[in-house]
Parts: sequence; C-alpha cells; structure tokens
Amino acid sequence: MPALLRSLLSGAVLSGTPLLYATLAELVSERAGIVNLGLEGVMLMGAVTGFVATARTGSAALGTAAAAGAGAVFNMVFAFLVIRRRANQLASGLALMFCGVGLSALVGAPHVGSQIAGLPELPIPLLADLPVLGPALFARDALTYAAVPAAVLLWWVLGSTRWGLGLRAVGENPVAAFAAGRSPHAVQYQALVLAGLLGGLAGASLSIGIAKTWAEWMTAGRGFIAVALVIFAKWHPLRAVAGAFLFGGAVSFQLLLQARGVPVSPFLLDMLPYLLSLLVLAVGGGARRHAAPASLGRVFQGTP
Amino acid sequence: MVLRSGTLGLLGRSSGVIALALAVFGALLLLSGKNPLRAYVDIAAGTLASPYGLSETVVKMIPLILTAVAVAVPGRIWLINVGGEGQLFIGALCATWGALSLGGLPAGLLLPAMAALGFLGGGLWAGAAGWLRARGWVSETISTLLLNYVAILLVNFVVFGPWKDPEGVNYPQTAEFPPAAILPALGTTRVHLGLAFALAALVVFGFVVARTRWGLELRAIGGNAEAARRAGLPVGRYVVLLMFLGGGLAGLAGMAEVSAIQGRLRPSLSPGYGYTGFLVSWMAGGHPAGILAASFLLAVITAGGDILQMSQGVPGSVVNILMAVILFVVLGWKVTAR
Amino acid sequence: MKRTRIATRTLAALLSAILLLGTGGPGAAAGLKVGVVHLGSVSDGGYNQAHAEGVQAMKKNLPGVEVISVENVPEGADAERVMENMIKQGATLIVAASFGYLEPALRVAAKYPDVKFVHPGGYKRAPNLTTYWASTPEAFYLMGIAAGKTTKTSKLGYVVALPISFFLANVNAFQLGARSVNPKAETRVVFTGGFLDPAKEAAAANALLDQGVDVLGVIVDSPITVVQTAEKRGAYAVGYHYIGAQKFAPKGWISGIAFTWGNLYTSFGRQVMEGRWKSENILGSLKDDFLTIAPFGPAVPADAVQLVTATKREFAEGKRQPFPGPLRDNRGVERVKAGEAFPLTELRKMDWLVEGVIGQPR
Repeated sequence: MPALLRSLLSGAVLSGTPLLYATLAELVSERAGIVNLGLEGVMLMGAVTGFVATARTGSAALGTAAAAGAGAVFNMVFAFLVIRRRANQLASGLALMFCGVGLSALVGAPHVGSQIAGLPELPIPLLADLPVLGPALFARDALTYAAVPAAVLLWWVLGSTRWGLGLRAVGENPVAAFAAGRSPHAVQYQALVLAGLLGGLAGASLSIGIAKTWAEWMTAGRGFIAVALVIFAKWHPLRAVAGAFLFGGAVSFQLLLQARGVPVSPFLLDMLPYLLSLLVLAVGGGARRHAAPASLGRVFQGTP
Repeated sequence: MVLRSGTLGLLGRSSGVIALALAVFGALLLLSGKNPLRAYVDIAAGTLASPYGLSETVVKMIPLILTAVAVAVPGRIWLINVGGEGQLFIGALCATWGALSLGGLPAGLLLPAMAALGFLGGGLWAGAAGWLRARGWVSETISTLLLNYVAILLVNFVVFGPWKDPEGVNYPQTAEFPPAAILPALGTTRVHLGLAFALAALVVFGFVVARTRWGLELRAIGGNAEAARRAGLPVGRYVVLLMFLGGGLAGLAGMAEVSAIQGRLRPSLSPGYGYTGFLVSWMAGGHPAGILAASFLLAVITAGGDILQMSQGVPGSVVNILMAVILFVVLGWKVTAR
Repeated sequence: MKRTRIATRTLAALLSAILLLGTGGPGAAAGLKVGVVHLGSVSDGGYNQAHAEGVQAMKKNLPGVEVISVENVPEGADAERVMENMIKQGATLIVAASFGYLEPALRVAAKYPDVKFVHPGGYKRAPNLTTYWASTPEAFYLMGIAAGKTTKTSKLGYVVALPISFFLANVNAFQLGARSVNPKAETRVVFTGGFLDPAKEAAAANALLDQGVDVLGVIVDSPITVVQTAEKRGAYAVGYHYIGAQKFAPKGWISGIAFTWGNLYTSFGRQVMEGRWKSENILGSLKDDFLTIAPFGPAVPADAVQLVTATKREFAEGKRQPFPGPLRDNRGVERVKAGEAFPLTELRKMDWLVEGVIGQPR
C-alpha cells in the first residue's frame, strides 16, 4: 500500500506540475479579461527555447529563464492582436497556437536528439527521507518546488496588491477601471507578459524538467486542459493547485493501474482523468458562472 | 465604380486584407529562399484552378461547414461548444453501428438510418453537456472539451476491441462498410452527398435565425438570459435543445466522413475538424455566409499547406507558421467599420 | 474609395494571372521523382526519420532522383489528396510511410496504374503497390535474451504507444526471449495512447519502475525519454529506432533495434527506373539489412552477448522461430499448439499477449 501511494503521489506531482504552471498562466490572462486559447503555442515556445538554451549553454537555470522569456515575448504577438487591434480573442488564440506549433518545430528540429542533463534533482535533507511523502514531494527539481509557492504568490498578488486588484478590476469592467484612472491596455499587456512567463515555465518543466528532450508538439494538448482547469478552479489560484494535481494524479493513476496489470482496456483507463474532472465539477455544484471575470462574458459574445 | 455598402462592399474591403495577407505570405516565402509566385501558382492549381483541386477543396469544406454551424447554433445564445470534435466522433461511432448492424438494408434505407444515428449520437453527446449547464452544474465550455477526449478514447476502445475488423488484420479499424452504407459521390470526384447536409444546415440555420419567431426568441435569450427567463422563456430547455442541435450537426459531419471518405471507422477519422470548425465559426461571427467563406479559406489554406511542402520543399513546420501569419493578418485587420 | 479600388483591381489581376498560368504541371522529366508521405515529423529521431533517411539514401545511390515530401499528413482523406497532388507534380514512386495510409494508397494506386507505391506494414497489395516490413520479433527475442540475463529483479517493462499487433508481437517475442534464459522473467506493458508524448512516456516509465521493473524497453516514435528515465533511476534500457540513444544510458544500455531502409529503398528506386517493377510482399529478417541491432552496453554479461550472437545466427539460418508452440496467452487461452509455430507472415493477427506478459492488449 505505501509503495502504491508513493508511486501515485510521485506521479501526480510529475504530471501535475506543468499543468499547474499552465493553469496559472491562463488564470492570470483571464482574470484580466483575456482568453488565450493559444496557451499551447506559448508553452511550446517555452519548451523549445528552454531545451535549446540548455543544450547550448549547459545550464538548466539559464534554459529555464530563457523559456520564461520566450513565452513572454511570444505572448506579445497575441497581446498586440487582441489589445491593440481588438481582434477576436478566440480565433487569435488558435492562430497563436498554430504559430507556436510551427515555430517551435522549426527551431527545435536541429536539436532533436541533443542530450541535456536537465534540471537537477534537489532533495531536501531530512524531509526527503520521509517514508511515502519524501521521494514524492521532497526530492524534486527547482521548478517543481516553485510551482505551489508560485500559486500562493499569485493568489496574494491578485488579492492584496494594488497591481493585482487593478488587474482584476480591468477583468471585471475595463470601462469602470478606466474611469477610475487605470489604463486597461497597459494592465492587460502586463498580465499577458506574466501569463507568457508562466506559460514558458510550463513548457520548461516539460522539456527540461520531465522529459529532458524535445519533440514536436510535446505539450500534447496540455494547454487546452489548462483552459479547462481554470474554469474548474473558478479562477482561483489555490483551487488551481487542487485541479492540476487532481488531473495529474488521475493520469498517473491510470498508468499505475496499467503497470499493475489491472484487466481494463487501456483506453477506458485513459478516460479516468477527464471523467473524474467532470464528476468533481458536477458534484462540486453550480454557481460557477458567477465566478468568472465579468468581461470574459463579452469575449464570448464577440464584443471586445 | 465605387463599392461601398452591403456584401459587395465587404468583399471590396476584404480584398485589401487578402492582398496584404498574400503579400506578407509571399515575403516570408521569399525570405526562406522560396519562389512565392511558383508557390501561388501551385497552390491555386491544387485548390482552385483545376477541377480536381476545386473538388478536393469542396470535400474539405463539407465537415468544416457542419462543425462550424455546430458551434454557431448554440453560439446564438452564447453557449460555447468546443466539443465539435467529440460530437463528430460519436456521430461516426453511431453511424458505424448502423452500418455494421443493419448492413442488410438497401442504401435508400441504410443511409438515412445512419444519418439519423449520427445526428442522434452527436446530439446526445452535446445535449448531455447542455443539460449539465442548464442545471447550473458545469460550464459547457469545459464539459464539451473534456468529452472530446472521452469520445476519441471510446472510438479507440471499440476499434481495438469489440468492433475490430474480424478479417483479422488487427489494425485499429472496424470491418469495411457494405457498399449500401457508403454515401454516394458526384461523378469521379470525392464530393459526396454530405455536401447536401452542409448546405442544408447553412440555409436552414440562416433562415431560422433571421426569419422565424423562434429565431427572435433566441435573440432575446442571447441578449439577456435573465430577462428572458423572467419573461417566461424556457431558457434551460433552449440550452439543451441548441446544444443537441449543434452536436447533431457535428455528428452528421462524422457520419459523412466515416461513410463517404473512410468506408470504416478508424481513430484517425478527423484531423481536428471540430476545432477548425470552431475557428471558422468564430472568424465568421456565427453568420452563415461568413461560415461558407471562412471554411473555404481554411480548406484552401490547409490543402495549400501540403502543396507548399511538395512544390517548394517547405518543411511542415513552416507551413504552420505561414498559416498562422495569414490568420494574424486577417484577424488583425479591421474589415468592418465599428 | 481609391484604396479599395486599387486593392480590388490588384487582387483581380493577381488572381487572373494565377488562373491563366494554369496548372503548374509536372516538372521536367528527371530520373525519378519520389513522393514521400509522413505521418509525423522527419526530425523526430525515430520512425519517420528512419523512412526519410532511407529515401535520402536512395537519392544518394541513384542518379537523378528528386524527392518531394510532406510531413504531418493525417491518415484518411488528406493522405489521398496529398498522394494525388504528388502524382500531379510528377512523382512516379510514392512511399506511403505509415500503417494507416494503406487504403488511401490502394485507392490512388487504382487510379494511377503507372505510378508505383510502396507501403510499410501493409496487408493488401496491388499490381503497382508493394508492401514490406522488417520482421522485428526475432530482433526483440534477442533483446529479451540480453535483458533476461542482465536484469536483477527479473521484472521487465515496456512503454508502448498503442496495442497494434506488430507491437504486441514485439513484446511477446521479447518476453519469450527473456524467459528462455530466465524462468522468472515477466514483462509489464503500459500503453501511452499515442506515438509521441515524452512527458507521458516519462510518467509511464516511472510507473513501471515503481513496480520493481529494472529493464525498460520502448516502442514509441522516439526512445530518448524512456531510456533517460531508466538511466536516471538506475535501471537498464532497450532502445528502439534511434541507435544514438545509447549515449543517454552509458551505464544501463542493453541494446536496441533500428530500421535502416536505405538499401531497400534504393532497390525500389532501381526497380522503377529500370522498369523491372515487381509487386511483392517483402518481409525482411535478421539476415537482411532493414534492421540494425545496436552494440551492447557494459552491463550486459559476456555470456549473454555470445548467446545472442549464436541465436541470431540460428534465426538467420531459419533453424529457429521466435514463436514456437505450445504458447498460451496471458488469459490462459492456447494460441499456438505444440509442434507448431506462429507464422511471421501472420503477425498482424497477433492480438494477444503471451503468458508472462502483464497487460491488456485491447
């Protein structure tokens, strides 16, 4: 039993960390009133940049920083389109995704097969020796350690700082925020920079942290799962932690069941994370719509 | 002659953005050391200027139109249906059941039965999400998205398992459909009867929305759901109904693809038609004429992308970038006056 | 508005020019124009790259070969259109490099009887369509021998994309090879659901390692992630597709299998160019060069290497079969009777996992 639990927990952290960063990225964006369906592309640009930079410089830390930067810069293309040109956010996001898929593949192609050491494991003394929790939670790399604190930090920023409150005000009602003396456009650009940084880190955690390789479209749809998880989390950073690790845990669980030879079709097992998320949502009850930043509704109505 | 107002005016103003998009596209090709003029000629030949090219473009448009209307119908009351892909697969699944179980029937009965099954399957898949939304439990955006993955896994399950081709080839595919289960095509092209579904969907959608009392009620709900509810309109019922109708159309797209193009059910049935349809619908603002135009544009772009790889040796990744750039230009240009 | 007018006219002119220039038909007759259709990316360090490299070898070995290739072509309607467009551009040999392209290729082959097609893993032919595959079970059997002798826990594991029969056969052969030298050997299989998703492969690998597995094999488009994960946790690795993967596991590398299509593709090209086309079903074995076996790593004991070499010779000389009866599957059903052997030409029918393999084949 403890071995099973350790495996499950470890897997949940492994699969959940990139999802958490991605969910936080989308959350920041949407709290400012902007839906970015192209998060997948941002993550890919982060993943490839991080990988190539690490391969070239030998430093995973530099690679991670480069990944975050690349994510932020790439997101600026989207920002320009939807803020300055007031383009349709949903379609622009999908276009951004295509761009990210293509550009990352182009940049990454010469580096497939390169070897990197990746982010080093940093076990925390004493804690890493705890029976079940130790290896799962306390023998991880820096990006993994930073994920939950990042969520907590984001929660604090959105809840208690001037900048965070301003961001939320813009997301609720840009006109009112403007009347109150804020500049909605500037705030949204800043939000998208932060979102890009977080999305880049999500990509880095995939390529430098977990897989230590680059493959085309290695995000495999995680950017879209993150969009769903933001709704799941009711746009709240701490609930995003629960959502990301619940989903990651379910992925890990079904792989574990396969490894243990449970006699169920691998395809049915693979449905677990999605069905579980739906179940939790349905059981968790309604009133979810009211948690959405008000101006998001207008995104879906086609009025910018 | 100066074109200013109406659809012609829109076309006139759009020509500017199309010209710009082509110019940017060409410049990028030039920068990668390719020949833009040759590329344009080859793309046009492969997608427009030859009967084969044009027919293939139409073939590609059929599922795109259906999945786009699948998004536009619930979109009328601001429901976000990202589940076109899953609804398409479930529709294909149900139609496959019909083809394999009712194979003895003549085409005149079998095909309508398959179409009905496809519509029903996709409709129920979306309707379930609609019901969850109507009860206030789950946003349809997230439920339809999650259900996409479940649908594809379900198809994988049946083609690797219970419905696997008994001819024993063990490829992930079902048995071949009987000839009566194949939607007929026009002449030697691959343009098939699914085109009738697509055009009918467009026409009916446009008509209902613009000219019926029901369409007006939808507009009221779309404007202000709460006020509509207080005015006695059964909003919850409409939510489920519109999701059902939208999903049904996507399911019909699945039936058409599996019957006319594939001839059996495989996991590789759709290269993302559901998502592309979503893109088409949002680019078109949910308007039928716009959907026709946008699906045409996307069909040409995706087929053109393959031709670009062939004609100019452009790697697949660059094609994605070029596609994205065209979309950026089109989206970033303010075509309609505000 | 003047701007709109100019734009409209320019656009009209451009369109007319394009339409007038007409169909950019086949280019000047070269020696041979080959069209290659890829499911994924040619720089995946794996399956697709192997095909691309095979075609490049053809280009190098034969004069006047021109290659047009399209990547990321989904199976189904798109594949047909791509192949037809290649033919319209003058291709006379089409390499349809994925299982799922078989029926589209057959349909296009029927339309263009003068164009030749080759398809890896296909089960139906046409007068102008040849199918080929390299019989991998024998190679996997050899890997199993090496793994069975190297493992310390007798628990082996495989990360596999999908339960396709060819892959199941590979895993079965691996287990049988391991059992032949290690009666306690068992192999666990986890399916990731797709051909390439490195993070999921890492998760699957970890799940297997958590069960006490100490040898990891892999059947996905690129072996790098699984091999690295094994090395990091002190386990052994069996590679696939990419021989260079050994550098990722300096301590734990056992061996690996890669496809090298160059000579086969060159012979296809030669057949077309010299007008000697023959439609056939080619099943390469260990004595052909379609398959390359990687060098052994330091952890493999010397007697294992000797045994593998000897067994390889037996396979090549036809003195040995990878699936000799009696064989039961892992649900207890008898699949091969005593005295018989599962025919390698019928691999596509192997939809079961042999006793000793823990996993679900469907």
